[in-house]
Amino acid sequence: MSSHSPNQTHSMGAPFKFTDANLATYQEYLTRYDDVESALLPVLHLVQEQIKWLPQEAIEYVSVLMNIPEIKIKEVISFYDMFYDVPVGRNMVHVCTNITCSMFGGREIYAGLLKHFDTDYLTPTRDGRISLQKMECLGACEMAPCMRINNDYVGPVDLADAINKLEELP
Amino acid sequence: MERIMEKDTANYKDYSLLSYHHIPGVHNLEVFERAGGYEMMKACFDKDPEAIKEVVKASGLRGRGGAGFPTGVKWGFFTKDRNAQKYLLCNADESEPGTFKDRYLVEKNPHILIEGMIISAWALGTQKGYIYIRGEFQQQAVILERALKEAYAKGYLGKNILGKGFNFDLYVHRGAGAYICGEETGMISSLEGKKGQPKLKPPFPAIKGYRGLPTMVNNVESLAAVPWIMRFGADEYKKWGTEKSAGTKLFSISGDVNKPGVIEVPLGTTLKEIIEVHCGGMRNGNKLKAVVPGGSSAPVFNHDESYSVKMDYEDVASKGSMLGSGAIIVLDETRNIGDLMKWTLEFYHHESCGQCTPCREGTGWLESIFKRRETGKASKADIDTLDKTAASMRGQTICALADAAAMPAQGMIKSFRSELEAYIMTPTNTGKK
Repeated sequence: MSSHSPNQTHSMGAPFKFTDANLATYQEYLTRYDDVESALLPVLHLVQEQIKWLPQEAIEYVSVLMNIPEIKIKEVISFYDMFYDVPVGRNMVHVCTNITCSMFGGREIYAGLLKHFDTDYLTPTRDGRISLQKMECLGACEMAPCMRINNDYVGPVDLADAINKLEELP
Repeated sequence: MERIMEKDTANYKDYSLLSYHHIPGVHNLEVFERAGGYEMMKACFDKDPEAIKEVVKASGLRGRGGAGFPTGVKWGFFTKDRNAQKYLLCNADESEPGTFKDRYLVEKNPHILIEGMIISAWALGTQKGYIYIRGEFQQQAVILERALKEAYAKGYLGKNILGKGFNFDLYVHRGAGAYICGEETGMISSLEGKKGQPKLKPPFPAIKGYRGLPTMVNNVESLAAVPWIMRFGADEYKKWGTEKSAGTKLFSISGDVNKPGVIEVPLGTTLKEIIEVHCGGMRNGNKLKAVVPGGSSAPVFNHDESYSVKMDYEDVASKGSMLGSGAIIVLDETRNIGDLMKWTLEFYHHESCGQCTPCREGTGWLESIFKRRETGKASKADIDTLDKTAASMRGQTICALADAAAMPAQGMIKSFRSELEAYIMTPTNTGKK
């Protein structure tokens, strides 16, 4: 197991607030729902668009902004695989390890990528570039084995392809 | 059903769902309309909402998300009070392993879903709707958002639609990676900004759903079928499929076939035809060993069952499995059922929401047998333990996830016991590619 201290876009302890543009997006979200709580998932996605993950400072900010207890927000964060309460890399890579992808080597690709980038589940690479996450079925089994690089689906891939694609990431 | 398709013209009579799919740029509203899109929406505003519900009911359309409950009957449980606050919720969570049909449908043709939802909203009298799409489908969410913007600009959504005095707002809501949010009450919890934990039924969402208000939850494919049904009528729709399984169905096919992908065929099409004709046969000319016919929670078919089954709700059920979401995973003779079982059970353990003990603990116990195998500590008797544990989980929980884990496990034991016994006694992986 390796554990690095990554270059974070947001350091622990620094205050968090939405950019003006994201604050405007937040206000627009509120018009979509008949209560504030329903906007929580979109808001957490928006925080991650801004700083990639959900540090304590962001949770406190959202709690005040939406008047939702911190513990409720933490429950939600821990429940969903795509909300991150640990720092992650600049690029998020999801590798499918469900049935069809595993038939075509998805698990070996995930293990091979962890080894190549000398990292483990979600831990950013030393340069802060990439976080790897094994995922359940991504809903693209015709591309098996498939992965998501940020929001792009790619597949079928083999380990060499996958390494090449990830090495090109900024 | 494969024909040479005319460009820019929807092949209404060949398909109900993919009739626009061959048209370049059909994700643009203008192109979609030129091919006949939104015509039925306009026509339906002159129809009595109750009459629309009757047509959908008479068509025999059954919920395409997995349960197969008749959509028109479900609509019949909904309040007829048009002034009551209520919601229409489209289930685009699509996370049953092996399923990718809804993604395929909306990423190319988002407007067919939006048109279906507007007609459904008019029939049901809902003022607001959400398309709950799984978090991973970020690109598809963007495609839908863009399509919604176009529909708003045309006055097909929002206040006083086409001057008919009907208001309907529709939004995309992204999930964040949780299988259980595909269960309708889990989805409602998630939309409410909570953990996606299912709620006890009754009350059903049609009576008490999102925010405690009446909520109609339908799958993407069900809602997208509505415009076609309204165009040609219930009788035409029923000409496809079987007596009890009417219409066409999207199937997602993956695994050891030459051409994996999404096809639309009438319900009742044989699995043999789907594999050999539509999917180009078995990969590498290998022999078929087993098929998961309806997503990972459907019990597996062996070779003979696979080649004799017709893909409709009744025939699949009569052979001991279920049609589910129409996700077909094909395994050839080189595959080991032990691997399939291990991957399936790991998945359900990971995705159990944790609120019911038989599921939270049971899915862990089922998976633990495969952990013991890694250290060489598993024994043949573990297969019996697995079978008994699975049996004890069924019907004991708020939602069907425990059953969804137990059913395929028991199905594999029933059909492939000796292979599983050998697998469990082998300390390292076998059948690997």
